[in-house]
Amino acid sequence: MWRMIAETIIYLIMACTSIASTIAVYLTIKEKDLVKAVIYSALQSALYTIIYFLLLTPDVVLVYLPVAVGLIPGVFLILISKTERWEKE
Amino acid sequence: MQVDISIINTYLLMVTLVAMIANFVLSLYGVFFKPHYIKKIIALSMLSDTANTITLYIGYRRWVDGVPPTIPVITNRSIEGIYDVVRRSVDPLPPALVLTAVVIGLATTLFLVYLGYILYTHYKTLDMREIKRLKG
Repeated sequence: MWRMIAETIIYLIMACTSIASTIAVYLTIKEKDLVKAVIYSALQSALYTIIYFLLLTPDVVLVYLPVAVGLIPGVFLILISKTERWEKE
Repeated sequence: MQVDISIINTYLLMVTLVAMIANFVLSLYGVFFKPHYIKKIIALSMLSDTANTITLYIGYRRWVDGVPPTIPVITNRSIEGIYDVVRRSVDPLPPALVLTAVVIGLATTLFLVYLGYILYTHYKTLDMREIKRLKG
């Protein structure tokens, strides 16, 4: 019995993480300040990492976490600092 | 009672898939209808991440009779060990594809960022409507 509850808890964490990532994607698309958009995008990537771990692919987690949470937002922040920060209406 | 919990599990997995499809649609909207170049690149990277997540979701295996799935690694090299891995492990092919896709996506994103910097040095703006109006 407790094993089935454990399965349900794992799927519940996965579903909540997916809904939170949808909210993060929506905030990224709506945001006018590009620095905040990059931070929301990194939040979405961190939530995806939890989903990957729950889908039993720890090798993908080890590659995806430094690339999508560390490297790509850093490159975006460098590009924003060299160009412009605000998106016009 | 067991049937009820199974239905709840299926429902939660469907919630995950529907949220991923919503992410896909929102990212496509960002790629096509947002005017700013950096916002387009961010939406494109989120699009590829969502496609990777759906690929891994396809390769997942649900619990069989209360026994959890494992990662596809053979530690016990006997017949029983190989049989156990085949019976319980998740699909090993989608993680291999996704690993390749993550690294190629990193290279593509870096190239697009460099192109954005070149665009800004030419046009002094990254708004696509302005660039379309200026035309070199």
